[in-house]
Amino acid sequence: MSTTPQGGTGTVPQTPTPSGPGATPRMSDGAATRPGIGQYATRYSMVGVLVVLIIVATILYPGFLNPANIGNILTQNSAVGIIAIGMTFVIISGGFDLSVGATYALGAVLFAGLTIQTGSIVVAGIGAIAAGVVVGLINGVIVSRLNVNPFVATLGTSSVVSGIAYIYSDSSPFIVNDDPQFQDLALSTIAGVRLPIWILVIAFIVAALLLARTTFGRNIYAVGGNYEAAWLSGLRVKGLNASVYVLTGVLAALAGMMDASRLGVGQADVGGSMALDAIAIVVVGGTSLLGGEGAIWRSAVGLLILATLTNVFYSLNVSQHWQLIAKGCIVVAAVAVDAIIRHRKRG
Amino acid sequence: MAHPADPSVPPAIQCVGASKKFAGKYAVHGADLVVEPGTIHALVGENGAGKSTLLGMISGRLAADEGVIRVFGDQLHSSSPRDARRHGLVVVYQELTMVPAFTAAQNVFLGQLDSRGGMTLDRAMRQRYLELCRQFDVAIDPDVPARDLSVSQQQIVEIMRGVQADSRVLMLDEPSAALAEHEREILYRILDQLRAGGTTIVFVSHNLDEVLQLSDHITVMRDSQVVVSAPRSEWTKQSIVQRMVGKAVVIEKRTERHPLGEESIAVRDVTWPGVLDGISVTARAGEIVGLWGLVGSGRTSFFRSLCGLEHRSRGELTLAGRPVPWPRSMRTAVSSGVVMVPESRRHALVMGMDAVSNYWLGRRSRTRGLLSFRKERGDVVRDSAFFGFNTKRVTEAVRTLSGGNQQKVLLAKWAGYRPKVFLIDEPTRGIDVGAKAEVLASLVNLAREGATIIVTSSELEEVLAICDRLLVFSHGRVVHELDTRDGDVSVEEIVRFGFGESEAAA
Repeated sequence: MSTTPQGGTGTVPQTPTPSGPGATPRMSDGAATRPGIGQYATRYSMVGVLVVLIIVATILYPGFLNPANIGNILTQNSAVGIIAIGMTFVIISGGFDLSVGATYALGAVLFAGLTIQTGSIVVAGIGAIAAGVVVGLINGVIVSRLNVNPFVATLGTSSVVSGIAYIYSDSSPFIVNDDPQFQDLALSTIAGVRLPIWILVIAFIVAALLLARTTFGRNIYAVGGNYEAAWLSGLRVKGLNASVYVLTGVLAALAGMMDASRLGVGQADVGGSMALDAIAIVVVGGTSLLGGEGAIWRSAVGLLILATLTNVFYSLNVSQHWQLIAKGCIVVAAVAVDAIIRHRKRG
Repeated sequence: MAHPADPSVPPAIQCVGASKKFAGKYAVHGADLVVEPGTIHALVGENGAGKSTLLGMISGRLAADEGVIRVFGDQLHSSSPRDARRHGLVVVYQELTMVPAFTAAQNVFLGQLDSRGGMTLDRAMRQRYLELCRQFDVAIDPDVPARDLSVSQQQIVEIMRGVQADSRVLMLDEPSAALAEHEREILYRILDQLRAGGTTIVFVSHNLDEVLQLSDHITVMRDSQVVVSAPRSEWTKQSIVQRMVGKAVVIEKRTERHPLGEESIAVRDVTWPGVLDGISVTARAGEIVGLWGLVGSGRTSFFRSLCGLEHRSRGELTLAGRPVPWPRSMRTAVSSGVVMVPESRRHALVMGMDAVSNYWLGRRSRTRGLLSFRKERGDVVRDSAFFGFNTKRVTEAVRTLSGGNQQKVLLAKWAGYRPKVFLIDEPTRGIDVGAKAEVLASLVNLAREGATIIVTSSELEEVLAICDRLLVFSHGRVVHELDTRDGDVSVEEIVRFGFGESEAAA
């Protein structure tokens, strides 16, 4: 038996080196602390789940991996995926945004309504995005300056924004049928791939870089991980805190535009489940609801897991109601299993 | 080297009549303070004297209610750590300000990321981190999340952050309290180097030896006021203590020795692969056994194992002569009569609750099935008075109490279980001299009433003052055991064993 304790993760017994400042600490031989296979398994467990799911999907539904089917899955989920990106930022910063569904609906009706009224999809697009910025700013100010709990703040703004969307649209859908450009956002293709897929993929890549590799991203983690410490370190905590809501506002409005374009219609009564679907994607990916931990790639995995499930259910003609039940169970089970694995690792 | 007071150079820090009230009571009242640039300035005083509050006002963590604070002649925006930071003022806090999910390296660069065009330069920061590790002579893996670091490792990371910040003024609130002897020496050396480079340093400390060793200027606070501020040459340890408390308190070696009872606890061969290596300890009723060792030598891990908190540890436990199953949870340990008073008050007490609620946390006092608040309060008053707690304060939020009073509440809470065996981890860490003496005396009283006390401290002098027997831990083993009842012990020998330099450790 070895008599020299090896450093576990927790207590690395320090060997005092009498030789003083010049002595090289035992850093280079990080064998004891380099993540082992177990740690990788924990970290990437959801990737494993996704792979297994895809294998099962191809067995149950041989057409699953057809490019056409994959394209459909991604297009159908591009809106919720884009919202999930914003939600990942908010949750990592220690917040929550329940207003994305309403902002999504507002983005949809503004895009459709302004296209009809002005005849310009550019003006309509700018209007919808601006609305997203405004909603995000309001959320951000309420949360960071007035110190209202984000759950309550965004629940409130969600109701207000939804009301505005209904009033603007007079509770009836804006049907855009005389402007072919309107549907370009959803239907045009670049290199054979539909535009929403491009937007989704590019948004994920940009967001992943922003969060993982920039000072802004690192500071978002700090605010969510320990707000007090971030403040005492001189970070602009209020500004950082507000910025993530602006981001979700913009992304939600963009998602609304994309779906309005795809369906050729903008209406106020959509997006009811959007906030919870986006949160489900984030947590299934393994981002902690407590803030300070998580990653964009995790949300990509979460999105693919849930999108694959839905696709398989539809192909097997499972009824909507049973889908709801199954999805709910799977979301909770996935997060519970993840928590158990993590807890075991630590305990 | 102390700068001569040059009128053309504004003081690094100048407070004029700075005051701060909490709940209507002055925590700092009309404090005047001048810190000359390029000096090391010590701020001393008992807990609750207002040192941390004054530091908080200077750093922008707290808004001053009255008075003016200037840094190099500029008045700071009140309540803005960011503004203080822009003026080159960096603070290493006593309450650790780690981001638990960040790695050690990421924590060092919190708020001061190396970046180019907004992109973080992770490789450069990692390199810089490794340099800092060499400078501090520690080996803290850069990729370990801060939540998995020990308290002392977190403190070192926190100090690294302050050093790395390239500050004009570095303020440290009890930087050495959580550090082992060896780590303190490194800290002192680094502070010396920083001063030589022109950095102004202000630090709060309870360790008067280090205050006298390090500082150019010493300011004493008492009862929310600055009592006196004078150059190092005008001070002695005795005079500092006198100005701090008004009366001299020194921790004296306990002279009275009560007879010991039967063996109350025997632990054999506690093993936790990689951490503990076959530790055996026995103790008798009424006995105080001291555990001493460097940070990371396994003292805390040993305690946690005995309370069933470390599931990978194994061993044999005999209580009052009867073998009992190895504890699998805190609950079983407590019900078999073994309690642990943990090291970190911040984690062991619910800071927003009062002493009464903390005492009864996890159990309730019942009369005919109903909670009895009067009885609960009475029990808390009785037990906390035993440890010298001012019982008028039992209904105040624990957060507002000084460290010494928090420690007394914590001890009372666990004494409330009436255990046979107390495992007490660092009971005197970061508390003032007067409270230390009270806490140590109350441990002796507990032992006199028949309890077995197993206690650790990083302060060798303190354990030696009260214990009957001392066990020296090193690298997860007991490397030395000695009777300390009659006088002569060689401190050097103990330290040598602790550092694992003796053949006995092989």
